[in-house]
Amino acid sequence: MPFDWLNPYHLQVASFIFINILLGASIYVTLSTGQLSLGNAGFMSIGAYASAILTTRHGIPIPIGVLTGALLAGISGVLVGIPALRLRGVYLAIATLGFGEVIRVVFVNWESLTGGAVGIAAIPQMGRETLAALEKAGFSAASVGLRNNQFISLTVFLLLFAAALLSILFFLRLSSSRIGRAYAAIRMDEAAAEAAGIDTTYYKVLAFCQGALLSGFAGALFAHATSYISPADFTYHRAVEILVFAVFGGSEHLLGPVFGGIFLTLLPEALRFISDYRYIIYGALLVAMMIYRPQGVIDPPLIRRLAGRRAAEGAGR
Amino acid sequence: MSRTIRLAGIAAMLAFSLVFLGAGKNASKPAVPPKAKAPVIDARIGVISILTGQGSGYGEAITNGFKLARDEINAKGAVRIQLVIEDSSGKQEQALAAAQKLINSEQVAAILGPTLSTEMKVAGPEANASGVPIMGTSTTAAGITQIGKYVFRNSLPESLAIPASVGMAVKKYNIRKVALLYGNDDVFTKSGFDTMKKMAEDLKLSILTIETFQKGQSDYKAQLTKIKGLNPDAVFCSALYEEGAVILSQARKMGIKVPFVGGNGFNSPKVIEIAKDAAEGLVVATPWFADKNDPKVKAFVARYRKAYGKTPDQFAAQAYDALYIMAEALRKAGTSDRAKLRDALAGIRNFDGVLGRFSFDAERDVVMEPVVLIIKNGRFQVFQ
Amino acid sequence: MFAEQLINGITLGSIYAIVALGYTLVFGVLDIINMAHGEIFMFGAFVGMLIATKAQAPLWSAFLGAIAVTGAMGYLLERFALRPLRGRPGASHLASLISTIGVSILLENVAHKIFGAGNQLFETPFAEIRFDVGPVTVYLVQVLILAISILLMAGLSLWLYRTRAGKALRATAENLETAGLLGVDTTRIITATVVIASAMGGVAGVLVGMAFNYINNQIGLSMGLKGLAIIIFGGMGSVSGAMAGGLILGLSETFVVAYGSSGYRDAIAFIAIIVVLLIKPQGLFGQAAPEAQR
Repeated sequence: MPFDWLNPYHLQVASFIFINILLGASIYVTLSTGQLSLGNAGFMSIGAYASAILTTRHGIPIPIGVLTGALLAGISGVLVGIPALRLRGVYLAIATLGFGEVIRVVFVNWESLTGGAVGIAAIPQMGRETLAALEKAGFSAASVGLRNNQFISLTVFLLLFAAALLSILFFLRLSSSRIGRAYAAIRMDEAAAEAAGIDTTYYKVLAFCQGALLSGFAGALFAHATSYISPADFTYHRAVEILVFAVFGGSEHLLGPVFGGIFLTLLPEALRFISDYRYIIYGALLVAMMIYRPQGVIDPPLIRRLAGRRAAEGAGR
Repeated sequence: MSRTIRLAGIAAMLAFSLVFLGAGKNASKPAVPPKAKAPVIDARIGVISILTGQGSGYGEAITNGFKLARDEINAKGAVRIQLVIEDSSGKQEQALAAAQKLINSEQVAAILGPTLSTEMKVAGPEANASGVPIMGTSTTAAGITQIGKYVFRNSLPESLAIPASVGMAVKKYNIRKVALLYGNDDVFTKSGFDTMKKMAEDLKLSILTIETFQKGQSDYKAQLTKIKGLNPDAVFCSALYEEGAVILSQARKMGIKVPFVGGNGFNSPKVIEIAKDAAEGLVVATPWFADKNDPKVKAFVARYRKAYGKTPDQFAAQAYDALYIMAEALRKAGTSDRAKLRDALAGIRNFDGVLGRFSFDAERDVVMEPVVLIIKNGRFQVFQ
Repeated sequence: MFAEQLINGITLGSIYAIVALGYTLVFGVLDIINMAHGEIFMFGAFVGMLIATKAQAPLWSAFLGAIAVTGAMGYLLERFALRPLRGRPGASHLASLISTIGVSILLENVAHKIFGAGNQLFETPFAEIRFDVGPVTVYLVQVLILAISILLMAGLSLWLYRTRAGKALRATAENLETAGLLGVDTTRIITATVVIASAMGGVAGVLVGMAFNYINNQIGLSMGLKGLAIIIFGGMGSVSGAMAGGLILGLSETFVVAYGSSGYRDAIAFIAIIVVLLIKPQGLFGQAAPEAQR
């Protein structure tokens, strides 16, 4: 086979990187109005469960399931975002963390809908479904020189890549738009933004909704990438992990969570050879990083510098 | 692709893993015995286990069981097994990544693990689709081997263990009213509870209350006080031994003296070790009995104690047997080819291991007779 | 039944309260949520277990040992994970949050390496002493836990409001720079606060071991989450809020199990904070409006 170098393991890790990028970005979006929400594991679970139930039990096609899941998460984002306006800083953070825990406990107990702790298995996996659909049309993976599992992993990889890329481009574009400037103004000084005529209530709820939507989207994609979900996927650990993606990578620019998602997904994989020491190193690295670069790896000055260099190179050429 | 390139690839990968694993890890392996006359079958077997985080207690026992079996099998010489152990941290996406790594990067012949049923539901379909035999040694929830024809398990499901222990206890103690207690946020204990509840209903017992607990809880007094007030004849408890031992201890301390009935997960020497006198009167059903009068079991327990300083529990025993079953299948297949290994595994019948006589049924699930045990005078005894 | 459940609830609540006191002290002075507090508490429990159960030394030495070790850990935490961040440009409150999360991941896994996974027996002769009040059995440990939590709260209040050091601490909490200009050695005050808070975590760890007889390297997480909920619920930086919040949570968790469904027990804490925050955003006993706190 010509594409033997195409290793499903690497594609798998890369696929999780894209999901984690989306999750990291979802915290960033809400944070760009100065609101720290730790409820994204909860929103993620809403998206994942909605899409899993629709596709597995009611035979809805995956794309519609994913969009419905994301939308439902977005709506719950509005419902949480409005009362959350009364809260600030750590109060908001812990209350939203609490929201995530409550959602998880509800999913554990609501057995008729969610299967409780047993979870939902045999969720249609996007790669396998695509292959099955194409095979019906007379296509075979071997005809393009791939083994079946390579083709499946490649499909998942490409779909998630597209999802992450489009979302990031959308929010990058957003940050330089009217909405993005309003977000930045609110983050800088809310009272001043209000005085300048910005409808802070509207924009803060909008940011909350967008963050929830994005994490619900990532959750739905997660369900269709692993083909199994249970409440254990959406614990406090997940909430903290998502937060770490954003803050480690840098919470002042959208590319921060992107970097955080990539680096912190790769790190435990790269540390596999020291197996049971790897989380000790992971923890120590977080501390060291915050000491040497408290604003995260990527910050606006760094981006300006990199962009400047590229521009200079372009000019030189 | 030509075989030489593939061989070269495997050699390169071996060299690579040697460099990464470090000399220390390899030096600890026993020297390869002189070659026997029959051709030696070399196989790389992947292991997915929990080495870090919550649940690593189980992962530790399991990997210990594998390592002990590997050393013994390699010393015999007919089959030479190299274990490639990957951590999953108990997380599904890590279990999936580990499975992909073992299947595609490490090119293992088969996979043992993962530890949890939730992880198996993610890793199983992937291994099945890639045509790699995967065998759970501790995955006891319903619907595991139904994932596909490459998925096996040798761990006794609670749906077989619990009817044995409950049936026996009800008969012996003339139980009429019961209280049920289970961990509702864990697949294993939840599946066990479903069997338990059905059993209680079938036997027309009156269920006084159903109480739940959650992972990582350390205080069970509120549930137990409630149970005590209802005065049941017995408590049916679907728990893993880590939580179970604490529950027993707190229950006895507040004066609940009735028998506790559990499944296979509740069976561990650790229950006696940490609950001490409070463990008296616990009834479990299990294929694993460390005091069994069987030379195979005695030898295993002695060697395990010598190597790891504790008595093996059923997680270690199941893992130990699993690798022997794998070796047996490798020997029968005569090759480490994945498809042939699968067929040889599926054909395993009447294998005599430390857990007793074991067979796979047509669905690659377990056929085994559990023994019902009771803790009496500080040790597990056959309940009769 | 009711009386027994009441005792269960008060015991659990007192432990929650002591854990929460540690969070609230650090937050009150530094405006930092110390996510590693739960893991320091867990280390306290293990040190107590090693001294009281493994070495069979008297109980007071277990407390002293736990206090010494967790106090030292508090010092190291402040010195290496918090102090380097203080006053740094670009170091938002998020940086210290992540840094303490890093410490908590590190400590949880180090504990796993040192003490192994799974439950460890925490057994002391003292924990077996009990007496009967009518039909109800009371363990002396349960009384001791309540007494220690009240003593700690009273002692802390006295220290904060009646002593010079307490005044300096409150000044530091009010405004770091001004306190420094007024001659308060703020670095020393902050270090002392983190050390004291951590040592209280150590005390709580030993008490948990005595009350429930078992400890493992995961107890830090569940207790830590509850402690976190309590300080929000009771009001950040409020000593009496932590105490009241702890007791209310312990009692409501117990009574939800006793008269309701045990499945929702873990959600109570968070449902409570969501409800309280929506009615009174600064928490039950919080004084300052949360807007003023950054």
